[in-house]
Amino acid sequence: MSDIAKDAPPPPWSFLSHNAAQLFYRLLAALLICIVLSIANESFLSLGNILNVLRQASLTFFIASGLTLVVLTAGLDLSVGANVALSACLAGTVIHQTGSPVLGILTGLVAGGTVGLMNGVMVTAMRIPSFIATYGMLWVLNGVTYWYMAGETIHGFPAGFRQIGSGYFLGLPIPVYLLLVFLAIGTLFAQRTVWGQEIYAIGANPVAARLSGIPVSRRLLLVYTVSGTMAGLASIIFLSRLNSAEADIGESLTLPAIAAVLIGGTSLFGGVGTIFGTFVGALILTLVLNGMNLLSINANWQPLVTGIIVIIAVWLDMKTRRGAT
Amino acid sequence: MSDLAIASPISSLRRLPGVAIVLVLLIALFGAIAPGFLSAANLSNVLVQSTILTMLALPMTLIIMTEGIDLSMGAVLTLTSLCVAIVSLATQSMLLGLGAAVLVGTVFGLANGWLVAIAKIPPFVATLATLGMAHGLSLIVSDGQSVVGIPHSVRDIYSAKLLGIPVPILMGVASYGVFHGLLYHTRFGTYVFALGGNRDALRYAGLSPTRLLIAVYAIGGMMAGVAGLLMTARMNSGHPTAGLGLEFDAIAAVAVGGTSFERGKGWLLGTLLGVLAVGVLRNGLNLVSLPSSVQVASVGVLVIVAMFLDGLRSRA
Amino acid sequence: MSDRAVGTAVSPVPLLELRGISKTFPGVKALDDVSFAIYPGEVHMLLGENGAGKSSLMKILCGAYTADAGEVYAKGEKVAITSTADAQTLGIAVIFQEFSLVPFLDIAQNIFLGREPKGRLPGTIDRRRILRDAKRVLDGIGFDIDPSVIVDTLGVAQQQMVEIAKAISQDARILVMDEPTAALSDREVELLFALIARLKADGVAIVYISHRMAEVFALGDRITVLRDGRRIDQVRPADVTPDQLVRMMVGRTIDMTYPRHFAEQPGELVLQVKGLSALTGISGIDIEVRRGEIVGLCGLVGSGRTEVARAIFGADPVTTGEIILDGKPISGEPDIAARRGIALIPESRKSEGLALLRSVGDNLVVSALKKLFPSRLYDPNSAQRTADGLIRQLRIATPSARQMVGLLSGGNQQKVVIGKWLAAGAKLFIFDEPTRGIDVGAKSEIFALIDRLVAEGAAALMISSEQIEICHVCDRAYVMRDGRVAGHLARSELTEENIVRLGMHHE
Repeated sequence: MSDIAKDAPPPPWSFLSHNAAQLFYRLLAALLICIVLSIANESFLSLGNILNVLRQASLTFFIASGLTLVVLTAGLDLSVGANVALSACLAGTVIHQTGSPVLGILTGLVAGGTVGLMNGVMVTAMRIPSFIATYGMLWVLNGVTYWYMAGETIHGFPAGFRQIGSGYFLGLPIPVYLLLVFLAIGTLFAQRTVWGQEIYAIGANPVAARLSGIPVSRRLLLVYTVSGTMAGLASIIFLSRLNSAEADIGESLTLPAIAAVLIGGTSLFGGVGTIFGTFVGALILTLVLNGMNLLSINANWQPLVTGIIVIIAVWLDMKTRRGAT
Repeated sequence: MSDLAIASPISSLRRLPGVAIVLVLLIALFGAIAPGFLSAANLSNVLVQSTILTMLALPMTLIIMTEGIDLSMGAVLTLTSLCVAIVSLATQSMLLGLGAAVLVGTVFGLANGWLVAIAKIPPFVATLATLGMAHGLSLIVSDGQSVVGIPHSVRDIYSAKLLGIPVPILMGVASYGVFHGLLYHTRFGTYVFALGGNRDALRYAGLSPTRLLIAVYAIGGMMAGVAGLLMTARMNSGHPTAGLGLEFDAIAAVAVGGTSFERGKGWLLGTLLGVLAVGVLRNGLNLVSLPSSVQVASVGVLVIVAMFLDGLRSRA
Repeated sequence: MSDRAVGTAVSPVPLLELRGISKTFPGVKALDDVSFAIYPGEVHMLLGENGAGKSSLMKILCGAYTADAGEVYAKGEKVAITSTADAQTLGIAVIFQEFSLVPFLDIAQNIFLGREPKGRLPGTIDRRRILRDAKRVLDGIGFDIDPSVIVDTLGVAQQQMVEIAKAISQDARILVMDEPTAALSDREVELLFALIARLKADGVAIVYISHRMAEVFALGDRITVLRDGRRIDQVRPADVTPDQLVRMMVGRTIDMTYPRHFAEQPGELVLQVKGLSALTGISGIDIEVRRGEIVGLCGLVGSGRTEVARAIFGADPVTTGEIILDGKPISGEPDIAARRGIALIPESRKSEGLALLRSVGDNLVVSALKKLFPSRLYDPNSAQRTADGLIRQLRIATPSARQMVGLLSGGNQQKVVIGKWLAAGAKLFIFDEPTRGIDVGAKSEIFALIDRLVAEGAAALMISSEQIEICHVCDRAYVMRDGRVAGHLARSELTEENIVRLGMHHE
């Protein structure tokens, strides 16, 4: 062992990604996509489009950032999309009834967090594998949302509330500020708190984590609750952006969120990945979908492309893992 | 010596109660509260409507027995249903439509099998990705529109009767017969039990778990193709979102039917009863005028409860 | 050698003969020039302490390992066993402790898995024939059961019978059984013995590994004793007494001295276990550990030692009994035990002790996060300083704290596991096989470390299968047997012979 060369000191960007090369390749991929798109279509580089990409990416990122924590523990939350839909509908109703955006926002966050907590209880106390538990939850939420909305659409919110999703500040969309704030908070939480470290330890080896004195069940509850709360946050942004709430808004959100997490280098097998990686993943995915838009490729191609991207991302993860062990 | 002698096949029937009780309770419940539930016409309707689900739940049983899952089945069914519609529209041939559907379904099944068995991607994620791909292809080939005007030969399958029995019921019964034979009377079926129960035993016996696993997923895709024909016939059209989510009913039927995600414990008759339980639940809720959303939510609860109980039993 | 003379009495040509078999693993000579012959119709007992080389020998027989040196003869002809298929061709079958059965298939399907009789339609199974054939095989071994019974509904003994039937149906002439009675009730043991007598009568040879003295004398036609990978002797049961056998098994050479500074007076009581029982199969455990002591917990593999350690640490739920730490009762999950100052160094480092893909530093601080960062804000630089300190203190050979822990040697990995509990400030250390898979040099370092820990006021409970280690390192020891504490040995009574005597079914 002693013949292994002495490591360099940790690079200052190490909190962004566990693997500097991986981060580099991903940023390179994003850059390449940008270059190709700017050549293929001049409107790509327009300020409007770039801001649009960022705003779009921020929506995916909010869901995906919470999901990243779940995946870091080697779990999966398939209910995030349905959670967004239910939270948005509940928040929308509250705003309509009370006229208070603050109460609405609180409702969205609490609803999302409650769903997440229920996922956590199923995974820990009831010991149902996370994918089955959250998959069942997905359909329960779908059913409840459709039943609650009964085909109605809640429409028209106060102008102040709509600013959250569609407003600008100093020339940048407000969701982009929110993105930066939550990117910072998420990164700090994952990298610079004891809880974050424990989450990584649980994902890397849950048995060893438990036998190292980490309260695994409580941390998993926390992680699923955070994931649900982030879905609740995303529901608020959606609501204020779309200015309406419908039962079906969550259906196309889960797969892109999982894609963003996996493209971002978070391993399905737990313990490896960063929030910043997920941000890059969300950016790459949005760039690809935006590019398809600009090149007038039918939006119907999006699920197909997203599915292929997921497979490639998982396959890359498996390859690097096999190389590492 | 006595305790060696008394073990008997009766013990294998111990699993019967769970799903059978659920089914009987549901029938009693809706018989009491839902007007017309117990009429012959409605019961026949339940059976006919359960056919497509049966065709998905049977192969899903095999897949779950291998400790896997196929989330793409509903989306693949949608795609194959569109294949039937488009091909039969173009050729006016029901058989060509069916052939195309089975081909497309099998290709997806093989892809799932490859991703799971060779690329070793966890089944949940692999089939979630192929779900996206099949859904995308459905939108692409249909351009998001319904495919209408399909030939009568397709539509008639759903309403035709043979010896007074609706053809879909016959197809469902036939599918069950084929799967029963496959699982309990062939070498392949024996090995399906071993795939989930003890893969090492297969290796000791010189058999390849990889190829068997791919075959199991391929059968799932193939059955989605066959079910695609019925789906198109039932709706008299191809629709790009027709079968989405049906995989969940299939998983629910399998889970309620007593097949376990662990150790290769599978029970085909239980799945059939599970399908009927889901069918009765949806039909009954419909009759008492509860919207389909409530049906979806109750099936979700059903799955979570079934999985929880299964976990309790396997830990006990 | 008495081999030939004894052999002639049974049959002139051995079914299988091993000559001069050696097998070396990095750091361990598992088998050293072992010769050993198996004759038809005899039960050949393999006896030896944990790690004497029995399981290596068994794995060579079934083709899982290939010998480094030596020759194998089958019925007088030289053969090679390089794969499990080779072993099968030679008629060797191993009945493993974990069964190779498929739970939800019936007995007949399990017996003929992969060799099903073909039915009329392609791919189908001739159901009647498979049941008939299975019935014949089962009758042949005197197992009266319906072959269509699902295996999962059978008890352990019955599953073992099916396993044996499966081996017999493959024309096995040599059955290797590894502690077949370990999980059986007394009555089931009788059934198994009846079966063995029957197989013997049919000319099947049986290699039987056992730790139970009574069985050795009840069943064995010959006994081979292994120690340190060498064949010590081969005897007939009539010619020896149990005490003589125990003496042959023990008396291992000491390849080093373990440093130990025994305290004059034991300190105050740290751990007190009263009547502890758990679902994992232990019951009525009473144990005490004092400051400054290393208390051994020995017994055979499977006697419940690890289960006791896990129950104390809260890793398995306790059904009855009390665990008292520093005078106050303790119960709950491992996080509570860890907070109260208990440390568990588990037997399986790689799967239970470490996150192999994470860095040395991450692994070293994982149990101390709350102690190091009371504000809950994690500072990587401070964590790295702590890790660096431990690396220096424990002399962990790693290029840096950022090295992946999976790349370290076994001894250094073990130091990381111990180090994480040093960082956490534990005061009761429970070591489960702390030197398993570690080379000699690292072993003495680990022991020096444990010695220093208790000298500085900690207490230690140490599980080891190496009796010699217990004898040299421990102040005193508890010996377990069948999930209970079979006895306690004070320092003056602490000899290998006493440990083996208490641990085996032999008073």
